[in-house]
Amino acid sequence: MTRERGPTPPPYALAQQIPQTDLDQEVIDLARLRTRPVLPRLAGYFRLGGPGFMNAALTLGAGTLTASMLTGATFGYRMLWLTWVSMGLGVFMMLAAARFACRGGHGVIDLQNRWHGRLVGSVMTALVGTLFVAVVFNFGQYSLGTHLLESLASALGVTLPRQINWVLYTALTSWLILAYGRHAGRGARLVETVMKTSIAVMLLSFGLCLVVVGVRWQEALRGLFIPWLPPGGPGLDLFIASSAAAVGVMDWFLLNYACLARGWGRHHEPLVRFDMTVGLCVPFVLVNWIIASVFAVTLFEQGLQPDTAPELAAALTPLLGATWAPVLFYVGFLAVPVTTTVGMSIAAAMALHAAMGWTPDPHSWRWRVSALLPQVGFLAVWYPNPIWLIIVIGAFLSLTNNIVGWSFFLLLNDRRAVGDDRSRSYLWNLGILLQITLLNSVAILYIFNRLGWWI
Amino acid sequence: MIRLDTRVGPCSLRAWGLVLNFMGNAIALYGVAGVIRDGSRWPLLIAGLVVTVACVLVLAIPDTENNENRRLHE
Repeated sequence: MTRERGPTPPPYALAQQIPQTDLDQEVIDLARLRTRPVLPRLAGYFRLGGPGFMNAALTLGAGTLTASMLTGATFGYRMLWLTWVSMGLGVFMMLAAARFACRGGHGVIDLQNRWHGRLVGSVMTALVGTLFVAVVFNFGQYSLGTHLLESLASALGVTLPRQINWVLYTALTSWLILAYGRHAGRGARLVETVMKTSIAVMLLSFGLCLVVVGVRWQEALRGLFIPWLPPGGPGLDLFIASSAAAVGVMDWFLLNYACLARGWGRHHEPLVRFDMTVGLCVPFVLVNWIIASVFAVTLFEQGLQPDTAPELAAALTPLLGATWAPVLFYVGFLAVPVTTTVGMSIAAAMALHAAMGWTPDPHSWRWRVSALLPQVGFLAVWYPNPIWLIIVIGAFLSLTNNIVGWSFFLLLNDRRAVGDDRSRSYLWNLGILLQITLLNSVAILYIFNRLGWWI
Repeated sequence: MIRLDTRVGPCSLRAWGLVLNFMGNAIALYGVAGVIRDGSRWPLLIAGLVVTVACVLVLAIPDTENNENRRLHE
């Protein structure tokens, strides 16, 4: 039987900077790990993984966390189910993005441009779904990050207004952004390590806050497994934002190109599955569950419903009691915008290069300018940016998710585009189609709500 | 067996199926809104759900045909 291969592109430019001996060694390590007992194998995968953790850190941004906080404060535990449903379905699409990279080294934008046209590839996926989102959403990260820095400093007895501390925020994030892709691949590993550590900090700090405020297990479990939808207007917008914020175009895009940048191939597919599960799904579901639960048992029960993330955080901190708990909460919370800014900026640079057909070179001015483009978000320090704006934009973006999702599904099943590397699994296709149906529904609900057709 | 990569007009059957699925989703949700509001639009809800489920189940069928068979058919 002859194998049919899709056209194989040259290796991604960022991966070409990694010495071939390092790439070969990684493949040998992976083969060796497959023969090890479960725990050492998982530890090895944890060490080698990265793109999944980057995606988790990217996804767990101001928009997602605000939606979680508002969900907890407004509806209590009743919408916890949405977190794992939207992430669980999102994984199927993420695996498609990884498949394009690991089998044949396809950048998804090239595939889309070739088979579905530049409108879907360069415009909808790269420019609108990734670059535009990165620039717009980074305002929210700056707004939240500088507020948190100010509050954290204040809790420690230092005055550090956001009109000054934005410089610290910019310096830290810019250093990490520009490190990616440099130093023969070590820059990417550094960024990924920071992402892993930040996720651990989020889990630890939010988890300790949850221990302080407690959990009503019966209600929490009911909310986790029994679906419930809020009626009308703002409630529905919140539902839409929560769904859209889980996994979207930028996440699919970043995973595809982050795998390419690490030089991952066919041998890395077990690692990708681990990375998706332990690096992305588990932290995403846990962090959102913890945050929503903390707010469900505090602000929801007290009937407090602030509108913005800083107001939400400020309303929560007195309820945490002891001094160390608010500080811990702020530290964990600060990791949220910092990692998202870094992830989004790297995705923005990759997206602009892919859309324009430029070769990514982290040492070039073009790469630096592209990567730092979202840093215009520092203007949010002076211009108030209501969190509801982020949520409304998130809702609009659900339309992009929709069409790009169709494109991914069609490519994954297209023998002309990916040859024998197309999906052969009914279950995988089913998972993607269920996600597409969820994305369709989110887009339709958004339109119905605007037209006054919903309840 | 349905060949979902057969081209019909500008798109494959699989792509047309996605469009049909989207329409089914919209009809079902329009029906849901009516059912929750005043108990009306049950037929729309059921029709939308049938279209959605049918599209999802059919579109999920992967193209597993090997290349020799494909060439013989073509």
